[in-house]
Amino acid sequence: MIEKLKKTRFTPRLALRLVIAIALLVYLTWRVVQVTASEAVFGPDTWLRFLISGLVIGGMYALIAIGYTLVYGILFMINFAHGEVMMLGTFAGYFMLEAFSTIPGPGNQEVNFLNAQPIIALILTFIVGAGVAALVGYLLEKIAYRPLRGAPRLIPLISAIGASIFLQNAAQLLFGPQRRQYSNPDLLWRGTGWMIPVGDKTVMLTYTGVFSFVLSILLMIGLFVLVKKTKLGKSMRAVAENKQAAALMGIDVDSVISKTFLISGALAGAAGVMWGIHNGLFNHYVGFIPGIKAFTAAVLGGIGNIPGAMLGGMVLGLMESLGPALLGLDFQIKDVIAFTILILVLIFRPSGLLGEALTEEKI
Amino acid sequence: MKIKYILVLLLVTAIVLSGCAQQTEEVMETEEPQETEEMVETEEPQETEVVDVEEPEEESMLEVCLEDEFGCAEIPSGETIKIGMGAPLLGDYSMFGTDISQAVSLALAMDDGFEGWTYELVAEDTGGTPEAGAAVANLLVTDPTVVAIAGHIFSGSTDAAIPIYDAAGLPMMSPSATNPDLTQKGSAVFNRLAFTDADQGKSAASLLYNDLGFRKIGVMHDGGTYGQGLADVVQAEFENLGGEVVAYEGITPGEADYVAPLSAVAAGEPEAVYFGGYAADAIVMMNQWAQAGLEGVLFFGCDGTFGVEFTDKTGPNGEGAIAASLVPPDSPEKTAFDEAYAAEYPTEAGELSAFTWSSYDTGNVLIAAIESVAFVEGDTLYVPRGALVEAVRNTDFVGLTGLIKCDEIGECNASGPAFYQVVDGEWVPLDLGS
Repeated sequence: MIEKLKKTRFTPRLALRLVIAIALLVYLTWRVVQVTASEAVFGPDTWLRFLISGLVIGGMYALIAIGYTLVYGILFMINFAHGEVMMLGTFAGYFMLEAFSTIPGPGNQEVNFLNAQPIIALILTFIVGAGVAALVGYLLEKIAYRPLRGAPRLIPLISAIGASIFLQNAAQLLFGPQRRQYSNPDLLWRGTGWMIPVGDKTVMLTYTGVFSFVLSILLMIGLFVLVKKTKLGKSMRAVAENKQAAALMGIDVDSVISKTFLISGALAGAAGVMWGIHNGLFNHYVGFIPGIKAFTAAVLGGIGNIPGAMLGGMVLGLMESLGPALLGLDFQIKDVIAFTILILVLIFRPSGLLGEALTEEKI
Repeated sequence: MKIKYILVLLLVTAIVLSGCAQQTEEVMETEEPQETEEMVETEEPQETEVVDVEEPEEESMLEVCLEDEFGCAEIPSGETIKIGMGAPLLGDYSMFGTDISQAVSLALAMDDGFEGWTYELVAEDTGGTPEAGAAVANLLVTDPTVVAIAGHIFSGSTDAAIPIYDAAGLPMMSPSATNPDLTQKGSAVFNRLAFTDADQGKSAASLLYNDLGFRKIGVMHDGGTYGQGLADVVQAEFENLGGEVVAYEGITPGEADYVAPLSAVAAGEPEAVYFGGYAADAIVMMNQWAQAGLEGVLFFGCDGTFGVEFTDKTGPNGEGAIAASLVPPDSPEKTAFDEAYAAEYPTEAGELSAFTWSSYDTGNVLIAAIESVAFVEGDTLYVPRGALVEAVRNTDFVGLTGLIKCDEIGECNASGPAFYQVVDGEWVPLDLGS
């Protein structure tokens, strides 16, 4: 560490970076100290609520961020249509749940299928939501990105933005502009949950929140195992490292890329269904904000790095819910706080929190 | 062989050329009546043939047009009288634009027309943004058959468009732009049917303090011109009355999780929370109410949160919520309109936004104003633009939403906001007795 420091020469640029970083750090610390030292604005119950809200949102950001990171790792392009892939997953899940709530349950005609067999209904909903999104991701790559494989890096990026606008407007024309609401099974009804006593108050830990959080952690573990332990994961890593060398070793690069898009689409679709179940309301616009936030999370954690995307999502979710409260600022500027911290992180670690050393090709 | 080709080529050229000639003739014909105005003025000799016959009549008609500050809109027979609109037809707020443009089109379609001319709505997408609002206004003023504007829909987009319509002499009647400043800028063309945010905010603060007896409230908004403007008025008025605003928070609209800002408001332990913003966000907030520790705290919304969508999508969570509205009481005319709307469009009246009825009134007010100044000469309909601007400002009309009578700055809603409360999943007029 010290040797490394000795080797670094202090260029004006580095000095400027350090000055900005130190100024921001001092300001942030000063605010945190000021807010926490002054009269207690928020009780422990409120802090717990902030924490829960941040973790749930962070889990969903993380799932979507993995999609950005997987695609970036392999193609070095930002798939800006990823939020729209999530949106179509949300729609698919919605139509599944609507269908389940109209057909009668087995045996008992009084109760609809959704409430008679909530577990099966939910599993099928997630499979369809993730499946549709995976298919959309797959087709997106086939139609919008594959023909541009050899083009300069800016071209597929523009194609991605175009695909995003296309999918958003296509969904509006197909499904209409009105907002729709997920019909959850009674078991997972929004606004219900465990009551946790904190001091003389109680904090609600919603069923949907816990469900989303646990499911996103499970999916992330699954993905981790897939990438580290399976043959597909190995070939994905090989393609990410060097496409030509991987092809020479007998790996079908095109098929690996297609499968990467399938996986990232499926994760986005699952996140979309979770979003619907936890938040309820959505329309064709639902993928836009999570898409941008998840991209930010991926950059924060180190784009191209899977654990980085997970960490980045969680950190961003927590910063958004805890940041304004810690700094004693209005919640309206939570994005300003989140992005200030992003800049701060990138000044110290340009490749993100867990970023790898970039190969020549990626730079 | 070569000769054959040349012959074919000649034939094709001949056909193309004759086609062009016909087209140019047609263009000349249709353009003629528009040109006559200037022609007669300068009395150029070339046009004598046509002009001589109609000269006496044209002069009488021209006087009106010449004296008019902005001249006349001339609409040849076969064309429609166009009413322009800038509305969010795509994007996150498209339900407002869709609903308002549908209701105005229906008003125009249900009218019998004027002396054989029918009305048509030209709705252009603004996405609700000021930039696109100005672009749409610049587009609409270039169409000579657009005589009036129903809109714009959002305050920001309207604000950007007013100077452009002011210069062109196109009267505006907005069913929904409620920012107080819009009528304070001395525009001759801008009028609105919506009650202002300032009126609404004052009534809301007074209702909260005087009638409902609250002393500690939280105020929330969505950061928009409309929502935050309203929230600021309520905050100032409530404090003026002697109450305390214990928390003031903004949300980022379009996100789906507001637990954090709601919890911050809950920490101030308010008795009621006022929200300035739209139903999309209010619904999410209501569903997260208990989660954020606001159980038992009254939700007080504005006319942006009112609507069937709110009650449909909040269910039992929305019980007891209060909101202001333009929605008129039931009447035979309202029922007839609701049926016509449901027959024409896939949604019910009021399902997409609460502005359906005021939009219908907007269409009818503009029709009445146009018919009070328009006249026919030959086979052209003339609408003196300056006179129309005055006619719209002098509106005195009874529509579905009650009396519509504009004051000198263009505030045309003479009935003011009505407050509604959710009781058993339905919006009912607020009953202060209980």
